[in-house]
Amino acid sequence: MVNRTRKLFPAIAFLAASALFAPLHTSAQTSSTASDTSAHGERWLHVRVISSNSKGETVRVNVPLDLAEKVIPAIDHDRLHNGKVRIGCMDCDGVDVRTLFEAVRSAKDGEYVTVQSEDADIKVSKKDGQMYVHVHDKKKSKDSRVEVKMPMKVVEALLSGSKDELDLAAGLHALASQGDVELVSVKDDENTIRVWLDSKNVTD
Amino acid sequence: MILLAKIALGFGATVLMAGAYTFREGVLRVDVDESRGRGQHVHVWVPAAIIPMAMHFVPRNQMNHAGYEAGKFMPLVHVVAKELQKYPEAELVEVKDGVKYVHIRTHDGKLMIDAEEPGQTVHVSCPLATIDDVSRELASFAPAS
Repeated sequence: MVNRTRKLFPAIAFLAASALFAPLHTSAQTSSTASDTSAHGERWLHVRVISSNSKGETVRVNVPLDLAEKVIPAIDHDRLHNGKVRIGCMDCDGVDVRTLFEAVRSAKDGEYVTVQSEDADIKVSKKDGQMYVHVHDKKKSKDSRVEVKMPMKVVEALLSGSKDELDLAAGLHALASQGDVELVSVKDDENTIRVWLDSKNVTD
Repeated sequence: MILLAKIALGFGATVLMAGAYTFREGVLRVDVDESRGRGQHVHVWVPAAIIPMAMHFVPRNQMNHAGYEAGKFMPLVHVVAKELQKYPEAELVEVKDGVKYVHIRTHDGKLMIDAEEPGQTVHVSCPLATIDDVSRELASFAPAS
């Protein structure tokens, strides 16, 4: 019996040691693979808000699109159900947004809206499957600029649901197929806001 | 003497194996430190492996109550935890507002939340697999809708 116990001891010790070091090995692997560029095919949506006021507020959000695509349909709250959000005023002030979008989508590239005034310059245009909105607010002490670039396929996917809803899940899915793109850029005297899409899991 | 040695060996091996298993599953860690007034300091370190097991010993009426209160959110928590496990190293949210700071990230398969404000710091670290297990368990106690 003593011999059997002696024979078993190294085996038990080996098993325990293997189990003990297993997580360290895994952890080392994980750490070595973590880098700026995420695994192939991963798309990340980044939001960065930097405020130049005295508090120096900063917000950095990085969301894997794949995660957002799966999480949004799981939210069942208020106006958001099954990845779709109900919008009450799709027919805003007599303007049928869906029909308007359809018209822009089927139209040729070009500038659709150009407003130039003392307060602001506004331009809405379409080029290479992208819709651009450019707003230059001149009222503020320092120039304020808003640039929005929205792939038409994403807008189309957002409006693919029924008349009074936006299909967020479909929109995210369409967004995931886009290349690296800066979607929103806002710059004014206090804040810099950027929303962009790339394959990196860190902002800077 | 031989019997004692056998018992010691069995006990030692069990402790070693249990330690190895616990270490592998990770630790749920909650640290709350208040430095203002009669500040409280709460430090909880619990082996993550025992949390799903311990839930089986919670009285059924308490679990029913927890399921009633939180069960409807558990499918969402479950999806988030399951999906986040695919991103073991990720910076998710970082907010700096003057002296206030919130940082949410995944590191080494754990969800880590750090919140700091003058007079108080909170650090939470929990293995995503544990969140997944607990959310599934709680969801099973949610009232049928």
